[in-house]
Amino acid sequence: MLMPPFELHRPSTVEEACSLAAKLIESGQDFDWIAGGTDLIPNYKWHINTKPHVISLAGIDGVSTISMNEIGCMARLHDIAEGGDAHPLVAEAASKVASSLIRRNATLGGNLCLDTRCFWYNQAEEWRSSIDWCHKCDCGTGSDCRVIPNQNELCVATYQGDVAPTLMVLDATVHLIGPNGARSVLLHDFYQLDGMTRNILQPGEFMLKITLPEDVEDWTGSYRKLRVRESWDFPEAGAAAAWKKGDRSTLRVATTALESIPRRHDEEVANSNGDVKAICDAIYKSTKPVNNTALPPRYRRNMIKVLVKRACEE
Amino acid sequence: MVGEEHVSMIPAAPSEVWSAEVNGQNQEVLAPSNAILLDVLRDKAGCLGVKRGCDMGTCGCCTVLIDGEPRLSCLTMAQDAAGCSITTVEGLADGAHLAPIQQCFADHGGSQCGFCTPGFLITSQALLTKNSNPTDKEVACAIEGNLCRCTGYQQIIESIQAAAAIHRGESESARPASDAHPDPHPSGPEEPTMPPGHAR
Repeated sequence: MLMPPFELHRPSTVEEACSLAAKLIESGQDFDWIAGGTDLIPNYKWHINTKPHVISLAGIDGVSTISMNEIGCMARLHDIAEGGDAHPLVAEAASKVASSLIRRNATLGGNLCLDTRCFWYNQAEEWRSSIDWCHKCDCGTGSDCRVIPNQNELCVATYQGDVAPTLMVLDATVHLIGPNGARSVLLHDFYQLDGMTRNILQPGEFMLKITLPEDVEDWTGSYRKLRVRESWDFPEAGAAAAWKKGDRSTLRVATTALESIPRRHDEEVANSNGDVKAICDAIYKSTKPVNNTALPPRYRRNMIKVLVKRACEE
Repeated sequence: MVGEEHVSMIPAAPSEVWSAEVNGQNQEVLAPSNAILLDVLRDKAGCLGVKRGCDMGTCGCCTVLIDGEPRLSCLTMAQDAAGCSITTVEGLADGAHLAPIQQCFADHGGSQCGFCTPGFLITSQALLTKNSNPTDKEVACAIEGNLCRCTGYQQIIESIQAAAAIHRGESESARPASDAHPDPHPSGPEEPTMPPGHAR
């Protein structure tokens, strides 16, 4: 598969990246950010939403720090999983992402900003043209959604990242930067329910780092993932749970790969009085996966009860 | 048809000078800005041992060592690897003498159709450099990103364990003791027929 023609820019500082983005926006040219490229490069080879310019963050120094309270956007998942500096729960989720070879390219920022996936969307261009495109891959031309026909409001492509739910239950904050300055939001407010917009990133903005609260060392938990192959695969469903050591009343649960965004289930946990079975049932009721990944949605929905129960086990 | 204008007719990507040390030799070539490392290694540096399998990071056939670390060349932008020291499967052998890992793959049936073998050799070489006494589980974890449709992986794990024994100095020969067909040229030809990295 040939790469589409585009120009790769490699800024060496954050400021240079922001001014480059501002310049491209000003001249009306579309561009993408590339971090590790493990998701963007296959999509480009399939000619999925390609842009004439790509800005690589790989040349920027000082954005790959890994510590208990802070992880830079370009920190590689391999280093997070095996370096021993990150929180054990984050390291556990990072070690379950794809294969060891892919983890050596993949970055935290790329994993959190992962493009949503759908089997009508992640296909070669000829294939997509043969089905007359889909709502997501042909923004604005009125193609119908292939998963839920006769609705052109919402893209239901699935977010299949592993690390986001674990950072959500640890109360992570994401720090964004762009031509209009820097801002910080909680990770569970970062995502927006739509498979096309996915998150609150404005044009020209990118994720600089995530920070975790001061007392994150006192928190423990686990991440459980359903996938087709145990050695490597995207999650078909995933559940993360975390609680303060010795205090189960602080339990937080988040799920991934069930809809267009990962979600933290604060309401379900609060209404269940700490009863894990009640939490599982409430999450089962509130999620509604659609038929756009490898496994059937009914199986994924049933499995989320099992995954949440196992993640909450001490 | 809806979306007929979908193929964007934008001009070709501009070219840039790309230089790196490939298999011990300095390479300086002109590569397009949008090139992935796999294309530069195969088309410009002449390393055809780097295989294009799935082209999306699934199969591991395109694995190369970048500064000693196994990386997927199909998912690495060429410009990101510029200035690095790159080793492909052609760079493993010492002239005409196979590296222990290569000899072990040949002797223990680690290679059948051979398409995935360059990727496996590079990944296992990286494992053995780091850990010359791996357990079977550690070997399986290291090669989880490489797919083989022929061997069923058992012979590959056996080959890697045999090479690990040579790396540890426990076994001198790469060949199993019961070999019925000894190497007629145990020291190999005196001169390599082609410089490494330029086998076509």
